[in-house]
Amino acid sequence: MTGIVMLNTPGPLEYLRRWPIRVWLAGVVVFLYAPLLTLMIFSFNDDKRNIVWRGFTLKYYALTFRDTDLMVAFGNSLTIAAISTVVSLVLGALTALLLWRFRFPGKLLFEGALALPIVVPEICMGVAMLVFFTQILPWPSGLPFPLNLGAIIVSHISFSFSFVAIVIRGRLASFNREFEEAAKDLGAGEWRIFWDVLVPHMQPGLIAGALLAFTLSLDDFVITFFTSGPDTTTFPVKVYSMVRFSVTPEVNAASTILILLTVALTALALRISGGDIARVEAGEGV
Amino acid sequence: MFAAFAVAPVAWLFAFFLLPLAIIWAYSFGENKSLTEIVVTGSLADYAHAMKPLYFGIIFKSFWFAALTTILCLVVGFPVAIAITFASEKTKAWLLLLIMLPFWTNLLIRTYALMAVLRTEGYVNFALSLVWNGLSGLGGFMGYRLGAFQPLPLLHNDFAVVFGLVYVQLPFMVLPLYAALDRLDRSLLEASLDLGAGHLATFVNVVVPLAMPGIVSGVLVTLIPSVGAYLTPDLLGGPNSMMIANVIERQFKSADDWPFGSALSFLLMYMTFLAIAVQGLVARNRRRREARA
Amino acid sequence: MSTIRPPRSSSRRSCLAGLGAVAAGLSLSGLGACAHQGPLGPNGEELKLNLYNWDTYTGKTTLADFRAATGIDVKMSLFASNDELFAKLRAGNPGFDVIVPSNEFVTRFRISDMLMPLDHSKIPNYRNILPGFRDPPFDPGRRYSMPYTWLVLGIGYRKSKIDGVPDSWKWVMDSDRYKGRIGVFSEADDMIELGAKYLGHSVRNVPPDVIDRVAEMYIRQKPNIKIFHHDEGQDLLLAGDVDIVMEYNGDIAQVMQEDPDLDFVVPREGSLLNSDCLCIPKGAPRPDNAHRFINFILDAHNGAEIYNTIRYPTPNAGALSLMPAEYRDNPVIFPPAHVMATCEYGDFEGLDRAHLFDETATRIFAA
Repeated sequence: MTGIVMLNTPGPLEYLRRWPIRVWLAGVVVFLYAPLLTLMIFSFNDDKRNIVWRGFTLKYYALTFRDTDLMVAFGNSLTIAAISTVVSLVLGALTALLLWRFRFPGKLLFEGALALPIVVPEICMGVAMLVFFTQILPWPSGLPFPLNLGAIIVSHISFSFSFVAIVIRGRLASFNREFEEAAKDLGAGEWRIFWDVLVPHMQPGLIAGALLAFTLSLDDFVITFFTSGPDTTTFPVKVYSMVRFSVTPEVNAASTILILLTVALTALALRISGGDIARVEAGEGV
Repeated sequence: MFAAFAVAPVAWLFAFFLLPLAIIWAYSFGENKSLTEIVVTGSLADYAHAMKPLYFGIIFKSFWFAALTTILCLVVGFPVAIAITFASEKTKAWLLLLIMLPFWTNLLIRTYALMAVLRTEGYVNFALSLVWNGLSGLGGFMGYRLGAFQPLPLLHNDFAVVFGLVYVQLPFMVLPLYAALDRLDRSLLEASLDLGAGHLATFVNVVVPLAMPGIVSGVLVTLIPSVGAYLTPDLLGGPNSMMIANVIERQFKSADDWPFGSALSFLLMYMTFLAIAVQGLVARNRRRREARA
Repeated sequence: MSTIRPPRSSSRRSCLAGLGAVAAGLSLSGLGACAHQGPLGPNGEELKLNLYNWDTYTGKTTLADFRAATGIDVKMSLFASNDELFAKLRAGNPGFDVIVPSNEFVTRFRISDMLMPLDHSKIPNYRNILPGFRDPPFDPGRRYSMPYTWLVLGIGYRKSKIDGVPDSWKWVMDSDRYKGRIGVFSEADDMIELGAKYLGHSVRNVPPDVIDRVAEMYIRQKPNIKIFHHDEGQDLLLAGDVDIVMEYNGDIAQVMQEDPDLDFVVPREGSLLNSDCLCIPKGAPRPDNAHRFINFILDAHNGAEIYNTIRYPTPNAGALSLMPAEYRDNPVIFPPAHVMATCEYGDFEGLDRAHLFDETATRIFAA
């Protein structure tokens, strides 16, 4: 038998192997990442005005860590994100289960109401929270940490638990009810089924939801802008005032730290869930 | 069991979301009694005020920017979605991650990064000036005189706002597109190609109609946040690139006119709901047509 | 097709472990900020002070000096405009002890009953204040405010890029000579009142038709204006983003120290005077500390330290006498008398007028 030479031309649907698509994809990736990478590189720039590269230095990182206001804001952001994530996860899971499992009058209305936090423009929600926390439920000031962040935390939970619910709901949709029936056949009670059969299936959804809630909270600017006070600044709000007033490489350094944190979190979440997250987030199973 | 599940979410949604919105809704029918008090009088004066050409123009401009952004995202994002869909399983996960990672980065940081790129001494102009000076040097060598490099005004104008919006919203467009394309029956595409249609014809006649729900949801997910964008026009825009979110912010911060700001907020919300309703109707009609076919 | 996965109790454990880590992190960061409930000073108030101030508006060591002198730790938050200040305090004081509003806003705060009357017996350094600042129209008898600085709006410019001295508002508002190199203040009141001044009208009680003419003028000028800034005009000038900018004399004086190519002039049509004041908002948790802080600022030495840094004109005779001649005789910081004669204080003229100004500004921006 003579050797058959296989030409490695792309198949009809192997679009990724065609060079126009590759070039386009490369262009898009450069477009998305170049500004961020240059921002990170210039955080090491030894020039206060940060326009031309003058030399490598770590002093702005040192400045960032010594800037107590910024560090406190950072701590606030992390705390708010942590609490908001936990509560959003619980509320979101409850909501997802509620909608998946039960039929009840007003279900459509509830689903509609749930869609509101996602659909309502951030600015509208920001001003609504501002008015709410000033006119209706004035949040007492001078509360011990972390209660003083309460107004911001409540606002964050309000807009993120809908997102979490959607992600978990998507994951629940692919649950095979036969498992539930099998467990019942084997004699398991409702709560046992819930914890040992349902929750493990939901796990990638829970992790994806938690990651989503955490990043939504950490990144939020508009809503926090309207609800934050003197003792309750968050990282994005502080960086905003730095960008407005004095743009030095310190802003770049602070931003780089945040970027790296986000990337680390994402990597961690991916590792825990074994890669399911990307698919859950992409809506597979929705 | 049901009650155990239902109480917490419903209570939260009501107390900390619907109630604040309801207050704003009430304020939109109110008036300023003094510098710090608002009286809800049921007057439509605020809505009428919002309909004035000045504000309506800004609302219209916001939609125009959002539409432009969406179209650009669609054009740029579609090939990316195609590339991801038809990649191998392993590459797919990586590519998705690659595209999604910027989305997880803080919006403020991304916008700030763009400022450094677009401003007068920013990277784009810097690169262009190098090219210009190089050409100028070459031209001087051959006897031509090029004038001094005029940096392009890329920041603090409408261009920067749309550029920034596209930069921020692109991942939002790619995901739903990918989700829809991934569900396509590949055999249909192969059949179309086998029957002699070129790639473009296949794309237009087979891919697009089948992926339409994904396209529509991608459009919606890009359009709505773009209309209500605040940070991007605030940091990247010029004075006449004000979008509706900036005007609303003014009312609550500088102009101290909460009733009017509330009216504007709700106008924005009504329009958002309208867009969604339209999408819902279109989707329902499609399903009916498909069911009948 | 979902694969059958046995219940992963290990994953539940890792979940709980994760929650535990979060809890630990929370309590750690909480401990760090636990200095919140600190010790009390001799006046029974916590040794803290929340100051809400403009950016770059204290001396380099002022807050540290205050802590050294009294043990009170000052936390300074920044606001970018009077409107932001007012909006933050509008529905209740979220915990500020001392605020620094401009004169027009002292009026607004006062008529909205948002200020605590000052106990002059706790501010003996009041005697340092120049007589001309003791009884201003916006706060007769200084019952609610103490003067901190006064300011004049004018034109900052880069000498090498501008022909001669641009001593008229025309070059900023009504001419294309410096097209694309102009910066204009984006505060509605300042823009419109100065526009009125250029057109020959007082900054007070500007009639609607003059407002329209001002709006038209700015709209015509817009293609020439590079940026409408929010009080970072001096940074733009220093960075070379603009060559001629509407700014406060103190801000320009600060950057003139860094770049001798910059200068400042008050246009001959006259300008707007402002005075930033120290006030104690109602509901301040530590009013006694607040009084002590204000008294500290009004001291001649502390004042001198502040004005040396921020380069704004001072109403404090004691501090003035300690300042170097280079400050006292600086025509940018202290414009000559004939220039001062053309400048006026603005004032708050009612909510409707404020809304009209803002709408006009929006109209100018959106055009």
